[in-house]
Amino acid sequence: MRQSMSEPVRIGFYICHCGTNIAGVVDVDRVAKYVATLPNVVVSRNYKYMCSDPGQELIQQDIRENQLNRIVVAACSPLLHERTFRNATAKAGINPFCFQMVNIREHDAWVHTDKEEATTKAIALARAAIRRVPHHKPLEVKQVAVQPGVLVVGGGIAGIHAALTLADGGQKVYLVERDLTIGGHMARFDKTFPTLDCAACILTPKMSQVRAHPNITLWSYSEVVKVDGYVGNYRVTVKRKPRYIVEDLCTGCQECVEACVYRQPKFPDEFNVGLGLRKPVFLPFPQAVPAIVSIDPGTCRVFTHPNGCKQPCVTACGDRKAIDFSQKEELVEVTVGAVIVSTGFQIFDAKRVPYYGYGVYPNVYNALEVERLVNASGPTNGELVMRNGKRPKTVGIIHCVGSRDENTNRWCSRVCCLYSLKLAHLIKERTEAEVWNFYIDMRTPGKLMEEFYNRISGEGVHLVRGKVGDVYPDPADPEGQRLVLQAEDTLLGRVLKFPVDMVVLSIGLEPAADAQQVRRTLNMSCGSEGFFLERHPKLAPVSTCNDGIYLAGCCQGPKDIPDTVAQAGAAAAEAYALVTRGYVEQEPNTAYVVEEDCSGCKSCVPLCPYNAISFVEDKKKAAINEALCKGCGTCVASCPSGSIVQNLFEDQEIFSEIEGVLANE
Amino acid sequence: MSEKAWEPRIVGFFCNWCTYTAADLAGVSRMKYAPNVRVIRLMCSGRVDPQFVLDAFARGADGVLIGGCHPGDCHYAEGNYKMLRRYHLLRRMLGDMGIEPERLRLEWISAAEGDKVKSVINDMVAKIKALGPLGLPVRFQTWDGELAADGHAGREEVRHG
Amino acid sequence: MAIVERNVTCPVDTTLETLLATPEGQQIMSCLQCGTCAGPCPYGEHMDYPPRQVINMLRRGLLDEVIASGSLLRCVACYACMAKCPRGIRLTDVLLPLVKEQTLANLPEMPGELQKSLENMLRYGNPMGESGRKRAAWTATAGVPVPLIAQAGRPVDVLWFVECYASFYPRGQAVSRAAAKLFHALGVDFAILGNDEKCAGECGRLTWESGLFESLAEYNVKVLAKYRFHRIVTGDSHALNAFHRRYPLAEHGWQAEHTVQLLARRLDELKPRLTKRLEAVVAYHDNCCLGRGLDCYDEPRALLTAIPGVKLVEMTHNRMNSLCCGGGGGGMWLDTYYKSKDMERLSERRVKEAVAAGASVLAVACPYELSRFEDAVKTLGHDKQMVVRDVVELLAESLEG
Repeated sequence: MRQSMSEPVRIGFYICHCGTNIAGVVDVDRVAKYVATLPNVVVSRNYKYMCSDPGQELIQQDIRENQLNRIVVAACSPLLHERTFRNATAKAGINPFCFQMVNIREHDAWVHTDKEEATTKAIALARAAIRRVPHHKPLEVKQVAVQPGVLVVGGGIAGIHAALTLADGGQKVYLVERDLTIGGHMARFDKTFPTLDCAACILTPKMSQVRAHPNITLWSYSEVVKVDGYVGNYRVTVKRKPRYIVEDLCTGCQECVEACVYRQPKFPDEFNVGLGLRKPVFLPFPQAVPAIVSIDPGTCRVFTHPNGCKQPCVTACGDRKAIDFSQKEELVEVTVGAVIVSTGFQIFDAKRVPYYGYGVYPNVYNALEVERLVNASGPTNGELVMRNGKRPKTVGIIHCVGSRDENTNRWCSRVCCLYSLKLAHLIKERTEAEVWNFYIDMRTPGKLMEEFYNRISGEGVHLVRGKVGDVYPDPADPEGQRLVLQAEDTLLGRVLKFPVDMVVLSIGLEPAADAQQVRRTLNMSCGSEGFFLERHPKLAPVSTCNDGIYLAGCCQGPKDIPDTVAQAGAAAAEAYALVTRGYVEQEPNTAYVVEEDCSGCKSCVPLCPYNAISFVEDKKKAAINEALCKGCGTCVASCPSGSIVQNLFEDQEIFSEIEGVLANE
Repeated sequence: MSEKAWEPRIVGFFCNWCTYTAADLAGVSRMKYAPNVRVIRLMCSGRVDPQFVLDAFARGADGVLIGGCHPGDCHYAEGNYKMLRRYHLLRRMLGDMGIEPERLRLEWISAAEGDKVKSVINDMVAKIKALGPLGLPVRFQTWDGELAADGHAGREEVRHG
Repeated sequence: MAIVERNVTCPVDTTLETLLATPEGQQIMSCLQCGTCAGPCPYGEHMDYPPRQVINMLRRGLLDEVIASGSLLRCVACYACMAKCPRGIRLTDVLLPLVKEQTLANLPEMPGELQKSLENMLRYGNPMGESGRKRAAWTATAGVPVPLIAQAGRPVDVLWFVECYASFYPRGQAVSRAAAKLFHALGVDFAILGNDEKCAGECGRLTWESGLFESLAEYNVKVLAKYRFHRIVTGDSHALNAFHRRYPLAEHGWQAEHTVQLLARRLDELKPRLTKRLEAVVAYHDNCCLGRGLDCYDEPRALLTAIPGVKLVEMTHNRMNSLCCGGGGGGMWLDTYYKSKDMERLSERRVKEAVAAGASVLAVACPYELSRFEDAVKTLGHDKQMVVRDVVELLAESLEG
C-alpha cells in the first residue's frame, strides 16, 4: 500500500442517484457542490449508479489521476455495498479501509418526503464522513481458518436434504433431530400436492440414505443446547436425551414391543397426533430412522410403578442387551464451520379459535389429523372414519383457520389452500362424501398449482367463498353428531347453514414453540411474526445476520415441500462454499491497548464476553488477544484512561462524525 | 442560523446488528419519519462512550438517541447491558448539569422492528420539541463572554480524545 | 378479541362523510370480504345486506341502497361480528350504528315501541316512562340501608349506578335488593345517586339516537362530577358499556366496573359467607356487553362455582361465541317489529340452548335478560323446569342469614 499517514489527505466524494431512489428526494447536485467546499476534498461528483461498473471505475480513475487517498461514497446502506466500494478502492491501490460509506438511501431518501429536509440531512451525514476519513488508517484483513464439518439442526425434509447434499459433496455432517426419528411433518403427510405422490414414497428413501451415509452422524432425540464461537469455528454442545435403548445394539426387531407387559397399545401415539395408540416401548412408525425402538419413561412400568416391572422386554432382547434403564442424558461436543437451521414449524392450535369447536366437538379435526386418518399406515389404516366410528357423508373444510387474522396469526401460510384441496380430493376418493371448502381467497400460485385447483374443482368439490363464522351441533340431529357450519356465501350475499358430519380445520403454520430459544442459542433474529429472519429477503434469503449460520425450510417462513427442498439445497450450497474455501476474512475492527496509557486498573478485563482481555502481571498492563476479540468496542468505551483503541471505530473518528453531523452548513 | 422554525437536532448511536439494521428495514419498507436524527453507526451499543454523548450535547445536539439490541439479544452477548449501566449514570449526571435527562434516550430495537424506529424517532422528536432547544454552544459563548468580561481566561475549547 | 382495549376515538358526531377520515373508518378499506362477520350475526340470514356487504357497498358508494333496505334495523349490537373480524374492523362500535342511524332517519315511520321508549328516555330519563322522582323508591324495601351520595357528605368508595331496569322494573328491583345485601355483607362503602340518576343512554347510542345519548351522558357526567368516589359500579352491562366506550372516564379519573367484577375481586371474603346450598344446574349466559364487549368471562363463573351445590354447565354458544338475547341496539323495543318480519326471537333460541344443556337455572348479569328470558321460558313452556336468575340474586340467596 503506497499511502502513508504523513501524506496530505486527498478525499474523493461520490454521491449516488440510485436512479430516482435517492435523486428523487435528495438534491444530489447541491450535496456534491457543498462537499466540494469542505477541507481536504479534491473531487466531488454525483453519478447515476455508483455501484455499477462505470461507477466503480469512476472512483478508480479519480484515485489514479488525482492521487486520492480517502474515498467517501454517499449511497445506500453500508450493510449492502460497503464491501463493493472497499474492493473498488483497493483495486486502485489504496487501502480499502480508507473508505467510508454514507447511508442516504435507507436512512434518508426512503424515509423522508421533504426534499429540503432530506438534502440537509444528506449534507450533514456526508460532512460527518468527510471529517471522519482523515483519521482512517490502513488496516489489514485477517484470514481465519474455517473448520470442516457442518451442523444441521432439525431433521425434517429441509434438514434431510441439506445434510445429504453436503454429505454427497464430501462434507462431514452432524444432523441433530429433537424427535425419536427424522422425517418431520412430511413423514406424517399422506399425499403431496400438486402431483399427489405419496409422501412416504418420496421421503423414506431419503431418510434411509441419511442413515446409510458415511459422512452423516445422526443424533436423534437430541437437542442443541449451546453454541459458542464464531463463523468457521462453532463449538456446539448437543444434549442426547435418554431413550433407554443402546442405539448401536438395537436391531429394530421389535421383539421387546411384542413382549411388553402391556399386551395392547394403550397410550396416545405421538406420531399419529394422538389418534392411535402405542405401547411404552415402541417404534414411532415403521420407516423411522433410526430404526430403533425407544422407551417412554412417562408410561413404562419400570419408571411409573412403585413395584417396577418384571421387564419381559429385557428378556426378549436377550443377548443383544440393547435395553438400558439406567441410561442418562449425555452432552457431546463438536466443532463445525457452519450451521444450517432447519427446525421447522408447528401447526396452529385450533383451540385458539374457540368458535370452531376444536376440542369440544369430536367430529372437528385439524388438517394434520386428517392426513393421518387418510394415510394407509395411519391409525385407521387409511379408512376415513371419525371418532364415532362412522364414515362422514358430508365434510366441511374451513380454510385460513388462525391465519390472516389479527386475533391470531396475521400471515397467510401459503400451503393451506392447496392442502385443503388435496384433502378434499382424498376424502372424496376414500368416502365419496360431499365436500365443501370454505375459503376467503383461493391462493394457488406456483408451478402446476392452478392446474391442480382446476382438477379438484372439476371433481365436484364444492367451493364456497366465505369464511365460516359459527360451528354448532345441528338441532335437527337427534344424535347431536352433525354440525352446522354457518357462513355467508359472499358471492351470493346470503348467510347459509351447511349441515356436515365432519369438520376439517385448515390450520396455518407458525413458528415452533421454542423458536425464540433457538434464535438466542444461535444468535439470530426473528421477524415480527417469530420466524427466523434472513439477512436479505431477496439477495440473501438463506443467510442470517450471524455469519456461517444458514436457514432452510419453514423455520424461516411457511412454504411447501418443493420450496423447502430448494431452500435446503441453497443453504447447503452456501455452507459448502464457506467450509470448502477454508477461511473467512475478518473485519479488522478489533481493539488494542496502548500500553503506555494503560493504568492497569483491570476494569476492562471482566467486561469482555470473549475473555479476549488478559492482565499481564509483570507489566501491570492489560492486553487484548486479537484472535479472540470480536470488535464490539465495549472495553474501549469503558476504559477510564482512554487507553484502548478500536480499529475502524477510533474515538477520534467518532468525535469527528459527531462534529460533522452537528456543524452548520 | 436560518430564519426557519427551530428544528431539534438529534444524534443517534445505533448498533450495527439490531437498530441500524432496523433503520435500514424502515427504509426498505418506505416508512416515513421525522428527519431530525443523524445516525452514527457503531458495532454495539456497548461502544457508546459517555464522552460521545456529552460531546454531542456540547456541539449543539438537542437530544441523543442510543439504539441497541433487546436484552438477551446482543450480538456480543451483553454489550447492551453495559450501555444500560452507563445510561442510568449519564441521565443522573445530565440532570446534575442542568440538562433535562429526557434528552438522552436508550431504546432496544431489534432488526425486525422497523416500525419501532419510526415510532421512537417521531416520539422523541415531539418530546424534544416540547423541551425546546438545548443550545449549549450558544450558552458556552455567553459564559465565555461573561468570563472574559470578568477578566478570566476564556473556557478551553472542547477537547477530544 | 379484547375489544375493550381499543377505545373509540372517532368523534361522537361521526357522519358518513367523516367516517373515512378517522382511523376506525379507514379500516374498512382493509376489509377482506371474508364474510366472517355475517356467519355469527344472529339475524344475518334476515339481512338483505349482511355486514360484509354493507362495507363493500360503502366502499363502492352504494350505501343508499343499504339504508333503504332496512337491513341494519336487524342489528342487535351484539359485538359478534366485531369480536371475530380478522381485520379488527370496529363494526359494532362505529360502522353499523352509523348506518343504523341513517336507516332509522330514513324510515317512513319508526317502530312504535322504539319510538315510545326513546321519547320516554328523553322526557323521563328512563325508557319505561316512570317518574324520575320514583327512581330510588325501591330502596325502601331493600332491607338494608342504601345511602344517597348527596346525603353522605363525604367521598365513598363505590358509586353504585343502579340504572333504569334495576330501579323500576320489579325483577330488576329484586336484583338491586340482592346487590345491596351483598354490599352490606362485604362492608362495601357505597352510595347511589338516587333520583338524580338518569338512564346512561347506551341504547340511545346504539340505536344511534345520538342527540339523545349526548344529552343523557352530559347530564349524568355533570351529576357524577359533583361527588367524590373511587369507582362507578353498575349491574347493568349496557350502562357499563356506555361508560367504557363513550363516557369521558379518563378525563375525570373514574373507573367503572360491573357488580360481578367487584364481587369476584372480593371472592375470598365472600366465599366463606356463601353457606346455603342451592341445588341447581346453572348455565351462565354471557351477555354481549360484559363478555365480548369487555372481555369478562371468568368472573361470573368464578362467583357461581363458589356457591355450594351449584353445578355449572355450558351452553353450546358460550363466552366469546355467546348468543345475543336480542335486546341490544334497541332490540329491546323491536320485538313486535321483528315478529312482523317473521324472525325468530333470539331469547327463545338462547333458552332452548340452556334447556338442552340441562340447566335448571339460567344465570344472567344484565337486567334486560331477566325479562327477555323469563318471557321466552314461558312461551316455550319450560317454566316448570327452568328459572332465570341474576348471578347476584343467586349469591344473595346463598348468603348466610
